[in-house]
Amino acid sequence: MRVTFDMAFRNGLADINRAADVFQRAQREVSSGKRLHAPSDDPSATAEVIGEYSEQRRLDSYAKASDSVASRLAVADSVLSDAILRIQDAQVRAAAANNSFLPQSQRDALALEVEGIRDALLTAINQQFRGTYLFSGEQLTTPPYQRDALGVIGPYQGNAGSQRIDVDRTRSIAVTFDGSAVMGDLFDSLDQLATAVRAGNTAGPGFTVSDGLARLGEAFDRATTMQSRVGAALNDVDEQQARLAEVKRASVVRRSALEEANMAEAITRMQQADTALQAALAAVSKSSRPSLLDYLT
Amino acid sequence: MSGLLGMLSLASRALDAQRYGLDVVGQNIANVNTPGYSKRVAEFAAVPSTDRWSAGGGVEIVGARAMRDRLVDRRVRDEYSGQQRENTVSQHLGVIEVSVGTPGASLDAALDGFFDAFATLADTPTSATARQEVVLQGEALGKAFADVASQLTGARHDADQQVRATVTQINEVTARIASLNAQLSGTSASTPEGAHLRDEVNRAVEELAGYVQINAIELANGGFDIDFASGRPLVIGERSYALTTTEDANGFARISAGGADVTGLIAQGSLGGVLHVRDVMLPDYLARLDQVAFDIVGEVNALHQAGFDANGDPGQVFFTPMPLAGAASTMAVNPALTAAGGGALVAASGMAGVPGETSVARALAALRDQPITNGGLASPSEAWGQLVYRVGRDRAAARASEGTQAEVLRQLQNLQDGVSGVSLDEEAADMLRFQRGYEANARFFTTVNQMLDTLIGMMR
Repeated sequence: MRVTFDMAFRNGLADINRAADVFQRAQREVSSGKRLHAPSDDPSATAEVIGEYSEQRRLDSYAKASDSVASRLAVADSVLSDAILRIQDAQVRAAAANNSFLPQSQRDALALEVEGIRDALLTAINQQFRGTYLFSGEQLTTPPYQRDALGVIGPYQGNAGSQRIDVDRTRSIAVTFDGSAVMGDLFDSLDQLATAVRAGNTAGPGFTVSDGLARLGEAFDRATTMQSRVGAALNDVDEQQARLAEVKRASVVRRSALEEANMAEAITRMQQADTALQAALAAVSKSSRPSLLDYLT
Repeated sequence: MSGLLGMLSLASRALDAQRYGLDVVGQNIANVNTPGYSKRVAEFAAVPSTDRWSAGGGVEIVGARAMRDRLVDRRVRDEYSGQQRENTVSQHLGVIEVSVGTPGASLDAALDGFFDAFATLADTPTSATARQEVVLQGEALGKAFADVASQLTGARHDADQQVRATVTQINEVTARIASLNAQLSGTSASTPEGAHLRDEVNRAVEELAGYVQINAIELANGGFDIDFASGRPLVIGERSYALTTTEDANGFARISAGGADVTGLIAQGSLGGVLHVRDVMLPDYLARLDQVAFDIVGEVNALHQAGFDANGDPGQVFFTPMPLAGAASTMAVNPALTAAGGGALVAASGMAGVPGETSVARALAALRDQPITNGGLASPSEAWGQLVYRVGRDRAAARASEGTQAEVLRQLQNLQDGVSGVSLDEEAADMLRFQRGYEANARFFTTVNQMLDTLIGMMR
């Protein structure tokens, strides 16, 4: 085949362009640290990376929800601890009042203390978290218990449900609670207990101090049961947070493997491409190869 | 005496012939870098003797023949059509692929932001800020869809502009070929003018092949009759047939040849490539985008309408319902929700007047993982990933096939060059050949001259 001037030039130019393209890609990979610059660099990896980003955003959202759940449960837990202490206080007062030899002045003082405990319990159960009630079930904006015009604490105003927050695809945790499941008729019982203490009613008829003690015992059981449920949920959230962090780490590793350049490999490839480019350039510059013209004088 | 004088004139014609040969070499070397120039070869013929006392009449110049291989020329043209198509597709997709953005910072981020806002609302259903955020993220999502749709539509209009420009170029080239055909009739291939016109017409036909796939029939005089798109004429003899454009309902150019719409018949060349991008690829991407937007709007609205807003009223539509066609470009939040205080109309609760019952907000947040798009096969971000994958795959395929076509074209051009190209070595050898020929003929002339001297000296 005849070898023409154009042919040598065209082939050489194509080789240089090819080598320069490979070099430029490798160089971009090294300088940006990224393997994917456009979807066409690796279409299926790009689609996977989109999936991983979305997964991470989802995990971030669940992590944020878990944090929120944890802080609410911590508040609920402290409310219940407080309530339990109050109930124990009331038990101590009632036990002290449960004998017929106390002078009236002491009975009056104990009755006042019982009423004070009742008021403290009301404050505790009406605890809010960022403007919503924790113990009104799903009635976030309604206080669980309220005094009427006469100062008497009315019935439970919330419902039996719970606001639930998703902390994973298939997992949600209750963050509000049925206040009546903790209190029951405790406020009424405390009112009656104060009356019984004041009257020194230890033997009946009617509501005796012992009746009050029994009710306090029941309320104590309810509050500790609820607290252990909250404690279990708190543990759950802790584990969930650790798990979410773990899953996210795995997703980040997958994404970076897809998206980021393997530096050692990219640099090696860049050096190879550089060598190839230098060789192509040298070869083409040599293609002013000896011509017959050089030998004619 | 007459014999010797005849030999003198023979020698002078031979000198002319060698000079002509050198002239052709000079022309070849001068045009070594001229595109479309085909190497010329000087053609000589021996003049036979007219009587038995003479060895022959010497040499005569027949002409300079341009070296061409019609078959190779034809294959180069065909391959050029294919290479130009892939090149055009690849260039357009290169722009389109930028408009789909980078992972994690494009439509997928807007999708995540939207569903995140519902998750936050499920966390704090009584927060006016959380409600407002849902509306804002809904608007951002609508805008993100509209942005991508408008980029894709813009790319369609760019492609349309190129279609119109290419049609103009085709008409210009076919008119040029017809005019060259006219000049070629009556010229001979071995005249300098004829060879030059043949080079010109071949170049023009190759240029035309880059725009659109053609069927070129070379005529005896070196001109071309050209048809395309299943036999519709572009050039016949000295006449060219211009393509015309009309506009379809969307304002896109349709191409007509002789009154018939041939848009769908053009597959190759840069025109075929740009038509493929405009009429097949971009509508496909837009349809997929519309489907995702439409499905999201449908699902979100259905869930939202099943819920109750902050006032305890049944939920309205969240997005303004729209038809599937053009869904992505028209996706917008219900104006009632974007109005002042509209956040209260966001439905988060499954029970009227029970704010802590957040099943609707939770279900809306969970839509991010639900296979609600592409016929119940993909979650919204998966559907977006599939669209990005498709754009990337189409570009990668076009680029790979362009590379292959360019390589094949290069090989064919090398083949073509092997016939028509100028080899400097060869020209140098020819130069030497004609120089030596000239020297020998000059020596012959001197010898005959000396013999004449001898003859004339005898007469003194």
